[in-house]
Amino acid sequence: MTGDAAKGTLRKFGAVRLLAAAVIVLFAIVVVLADFIAPYDHTSQSRHAVSAPPSSIHFRRTDGSFALRPFIYQRRLADPLTQKYEEIETKQYPLELFTEGESHLLFGLIPVRTRLFGVSGLAQEAPRVYILGTDALGRDRLSRLLVAVRFSLIVCPLGAALACLIGVVIGMLSGYAGRLPDMIVMGAADSMLAMPALILILAARAAFPLELPPTRAALLLIIIFALTGWAGMARLTRGLVRSLREKEFVLAARSIGLTEARILFRHVLPNAAPVLVTQGLILLPYFLLSEVALSYLGVGLQEPAPSLGNMLAAANDITQLARQPFLLLSPAIAIFLFVLAVRVLVPDTSLRQGGPNDEAR
Amino acid sequence: MLIAVSAVAFGLLSSAGGDALSALRENPQVSEETVERLRQVYGLDRPLAVRYGTWVSAMARGDMGESLSFRTSVAGLVFSRLLNTLKLGLLALAIAIGVSVLLSFASVRLNKAIIDRSIDLIVLVTASMPRIVLALFALALTVGLSGSVAAINNGSAAAMLLAAAVLSVPVIALFLGQMHGELRQAMNEPFVRYARAKGLSENEVILRHASRAALNPLLTIFGLSLGALIGGSVIVETVLGWPGLGALTVSAVLSRDAPLVMGVVVVSSAAVWLGNSIAEVLQVLNDRRLRDSEIDV
Repeated sequence: MTGDAAKGTLRKFGAVRLLAAAVIVLFAIVVVLADFIAPYDHTSQSRHAVSAPPSSIHFRRTDGSFALRPFIYQRRLADPLTQKYEEIETKQYPLELFTEGESHLLFGLIPVRTRLFGVSGLAQEAPRVYILGTDALGRDRLSRLLVAVRFSLIVCPLGAALACLIGVVIGMLSGYAGRLPDMIVMGAADSMLAMPALILILAARAAFPLELPPTRAALLLIIIFALTGWAGMARLTRGLVRSLREKEFVLAARSIGLTEARILFRHVLPNAAPVLVTQGLILLPYFLLSEVALSYLGVGLQEPAPSLGNMLAAANDITQLARQPFLLLSPAIAIFLFVLAVRVLVPDTSLRQGGPNDEAR
Repeated sequence: MLIAVSAVAFGLLSSAGGDALSALRENPQVSEETVERLRQVYGLDRPLAVRYGTWVSAMARGDMGESLSFRTSVAGLVFSRLLNTLKLGLLALAIAIGVSVLLSFASVRLNKAIIDRSIDLIVLVTASMPRIVLALFALALTVGLSGSVAAINNGSAAAMLLAAAVLSVPVIALFLGQMHGELRQAMNEPFVRYARAKGLSENEVILRHASRAALNPLLTIFGLSLGALIGGSVIVETVLGWPGLGALTVSAVLSRDAPLVMGVVVVSSAAVWLGNSIAEVLQVLNDRRLRDSEIDV
């Protein structure tokens, strides 16, 4: 690409792609620092604020003067039936950065009490600040959302990586071996691809106990993704290997007496890698949405551990959904943002060439 | 192929922990002997290969056994639900094709950059809009407007249209992206120039010549979209309460109803396979060049 053309492309797509990259970086930061950014522990409940709307953050005091530091008021339940809250405008509780809060494990290792933001003062008497309101059990929705994003974005890439690894190895061996082994393996892959993926994943899930503790649920999800996701990858790898093995550089490598394994892993694989990496990244949203679907249906990660899917199950409460649609569906918005960002950065070629099933979308 | 599919599913379902009776086993009022006797009644105590053999031979006679949770025949249940899902799926397909055809024809006929740009945007957004997100927002919207969930669950035409619209969205991305690209490409082909030179109107050129060339890749996509529609029905039907195959799958999994799960897997795979085969036949009918070549239908 010439310089001018490159500049033109950057002008045309640069801003959007940059934005998408920023969204991904934001999600990555959440994965690393979820507990620190979350103002409260994702399991701690407040009986005084059930299904509460977001705290309104004020800059102007009751006497009309301007406060440099934003503050919130104590709230009380005005009408338990409609869950209306009203503010008691007598005492202000300023917000602060790097506040002392409930202790958590930084990077999952170091116990600290500092959190990114919160209400200053003693945690006992001060009201809590809820950016996204609370759920039906009085837990801070923002904190749960952050932890849920972390769970999904750890489990799904791991599942995708494992599926890719299995798929690539199987595809390479099958493509290189040819004949009978190739036929058997590709027959198996085709039968996997013939089943609608989400139904296959659900069927695989049905084989295991329905209720599982979080770590085992995460492991199970990764294994199910790997078991059901390898076939598309294997097919792609096999096709690439079969075309690459006819190339001159493979002949050259063979003529200087390299072993077959060395040719396969050092010469064929690197040439297939770019396509395979793209395909692997495309798998990411599929697995994320499968995890969301499973957890939403109650067979993925289960309460009290938060996941994007089981948070969405709160939408089954119809009255609450009508009252606070955007708060209840905030995990859905997070999912949409992530999937959109991935698609902007990694265009899904399967939309043009006919690729893997896409029913989870 | 169906045999391979069913063997994989059967093996998975039978391999690890628990069956429909494991909930019973945790109940202290039900003795261990009762559970064992029930296992014998349902044949769960026999080895895996024997059970699979029995299942296959019954399956060949069209008998998929009895659902453990619904207490009726799996075949009847699955097919009646499949019919519901097909209704929804065909409507969704019609919506997707209608939107795609309209937009792509508008694009090549009017030839404006703004239309192309908006099509690219629509493809990107619809491809990234997960059905679960859309379905939940549709639910919220309906509940917000009507104030009750009855509007969705009553099986009215409006409810069906809503569910179909939600189901169709990712399929729109699939069709629109492909159709737009193919049609644009076809418009630059020599035969289109020839048709224009012949003095045909632009409408005729597009409808009779360019669209015909663009049709075949679309038929491939049509085959693919069937899997997408059946799989996608799981979430859409559960959220919006449509009594189809997807909702049935969920209840089968939740009640650990192995015969029903098997039935759903086999029937949905068969439906997808059938759809792909029909698409291939249509391709051959549309493109004479394919008639002489070998096609594994």
